[in-house]
Amino acid sequence: MNLEIRELIYIILALPLVFSAISAANFLGRNILHWLNRLVATGVGAAIVMLLMTFDAYIPFAGQYIYLDALSMWMLIIIGTLYLAFAWTSKAYLDRDTNKRYGYLRRFGYLEGRFYALSHIFVWIMFLVVLVNNLGLMWVTIEATTLVSALLVAFKFTRTSLEATWKYVMVCTVGICLALLGTIIVYYIQLTTMGSDSPLNWLYMVEHSKNIDPVMAKFAFCFLFVGYGTKIGLAPMHAWLPDAHSEAPALTSGLLSGSLCICAIYVLIRNIVILMPSIGIDFISGLCLFFGIFTIAVAVPFVVVQRDIKRMLAYSSMENFGLMVAGLGLFVPIAAQAMLLHMFNHALVKYSLFYTAGTIMEEYGTKNMMRIHGMMVQVPRTACFLLLSIVAILGMPPFGVFFSKFYMIYGFFTAEHPWLGVITLVLLAGMLIGILYHILRMLGGQSKKKSSGELFGVIDSLTIAGLLIFSGIASAGLSDITVLNRLLEAAAKIVLGGVA
Amino acid sequence: MDYLVVFLVLVVFLQTRVTDLKRAVICLASQSVIIAIACFVIGFSHGNDIHAVMPGVLTIIVKVIFIPGAVYRLVKKLKNEREIVSASNVNYSTMAAALFLVMGYALVERLMPGSVGRDIVAASILMIMTGLSLMVLRKRAIIQICGLITLENGIYLLGLLMTEGLPLVVELGVFLDVLIAVVVLVILTSRMRLSFMTTDTSVMKKLKG
Repeated sequence: MNLEIRELIYIILALPLVFSAISAANFLGRNILHWLNRLVATGVGAAIVMLLMTFDAYIPFAGQYIYLDALSMWMLIIIGTLYLAFAWTSKAYLDRDTNKRYGYLRRFGYLEGRFYALSHIFVWIMFLVVLVNNLGLMWVTIEATTLVSALLVAFKFTRTSLEATWKYVMVCTVGICLALLGTIIVYYIQLTTMGSDSPLNWLYMVEHSKNIDPVMAKFAFCFLFVGYGTKIGLAPMHAWLPDAHSEAPALTSGLLSGSLCICAIYVLIRNIVILMPSIGIDFISGLCLFFGIFTIAVAVPFVVVQRDIKRMLAYSSMENFGLMVAGLGLFVPIAAQAMLLHMFNHALVKYSLFYTAGTIMEEYGTKNMMRIHGMMVQVPRTACFLLLSIVAILGMPPFGVFFSKFYMIYGFFTAEHPWLGVITLVLLAGMLIGILYHILRMLGGQSKKKSSGELFGVIDSLTIAGLLIFSGIASAGLSDITVLNRLLEAAAKIVLGGVA
Repeated sequence: MDYLVVFLVLVVFLQTRVTDLKRAVICLASQSVIIAIACFVIGFSHGNDIHAVMPGVLTIIVKVIFIPGAVYRLVKKLKNEREIVSASNVNYSTMAAALFLVMGYALVERLMPGSVGRDIVAASILMIMTGLSLMVLRKRAIIQICGLITLENGIYLLGLLMTEGLPLVVELGVFLDVLIAVVVLVILTSRMRLSFMTTDTSVMKKLKG
């Protein structure tokens, strides 16, 4: 079977949409729905693999509204992997929710269809974010992800989830509105310097970005940075992030943390590439480094005093986003590659962590880490996965995050910011101590609270193990996997915008 | 155009004074009507094609009819609810709006002295900042939604003046997003009424740290 790039992209964009329409109509039986969900995601995954094989990293594909280059291909791989993981773990998660103590879905069977419909639409919009060629449409799709995921965060409509969602929608919409203002200013810049051909088209703007007025560009960049920074969860604007991540259903938290926030980083990168030649690196780099490291610094104390397991993971996500933005601000090739690799590793590992945390919440009927002890004895398989994923996210070998964090720290020293590198290392060490303290308490000790038994099944264990192994192999053997290596180099070149 | 700006500033100030939810929604609708008229004025001064009419028509459909309609339907259901709101915040937000108006004019004078759309830029800065202050200072969910739409209207007006509207596809997308945002917020507010017996957002303070 030989399909062209255009056809493959149509397949990727059509399948989730069709499936969410089917599951929203809700006429299929539960088993068929689960299998169709897996089939659709596997189909999309296969399409992405075929796309990766036919696509040459240095020859971008441009359609009327669609643009695919190495950077968007890399994002497509990340989102696609999470989509697969979502599809293969969702049945276990939903079944648990229909049977065990918190059986919310047991009373409302039809909600399963709605959950699938919303989740697939959510992933579909994220595919759109990375595939559209127009800065305005990128804004539109990012805002749409907020709204769809808001319904997912509030899926059970409990009091706390309502509170989290209200905060999420209000804070993110205000932030994104500021980004709209930034986009309007970028359009104004385009109208005054390049004329009205192909409005807001990314490729066109990159080719003509040399003679932009620097003052206006700086003005636009500030709005864009604050706006998309809110969506990424950078420090002063992060109020929504721990709430939304901790109150959402576990699968949604995984998708939010793994793919949504890095979609915002992706859009920010696209804007930076256009504005960089006129603003100059120093200004952008300074802002990114400051807010990135500030975000890590804010996250550390909250992790140490945390009691809610999913909130702790949310703060750990914040730390990783801070690291990514700081890595973006370094503007050296090694750091740019490390940032992209870190997006990939963090997404995979964080998804498995959130899934495991959701399982623990079902097993013990609580989110409070202080009331969970002795997991090693009571629920050995869950405990094993928890330990492995925690070790992975903290950046210890042989898991993938080790490599990306290591390259990132290396980037700090090659970019002649050694002191920032030292500060980051100290903060990461604080993170490690804080998280390990909580997790080791949970794993060991005498248990006072009885668990409801091992809930990890076969399929979800395999999926989670697959995620961890895939992230490890892809990062460790990166230089031997030619396709990925070439793609990553090309993507890093796009991030740097031909500067370094 | 000058009269429009005067009316707009008046409506925005009214918006900060109103505590009754129904009147707040009517205020919001009239504010959007003024924006729609501004769309037509600016659109027809640059040509007669579809792009001149489109923003105005969309504004009328989405922001004048649909959004206030949806919020109004919700407000009608909110009869017997617990009232926690205090009146002191109203004065603060009016005072803030007055400050923002002065700030807007000062900013315009500094950045682009003597430009044509000076009053409109100042008015849109007023709307953006007032929208923000309504969302921060006020506690009622409906008023916060009104603040969000005011903020969005302000940004839209500024965009209209600077670039004569975004490209058509993007424009459609923006309207769609605003529409969905309001639908989501209305769903959330009605759920809030069911589980908290009030739409006062200050009761939601469980999630901290």
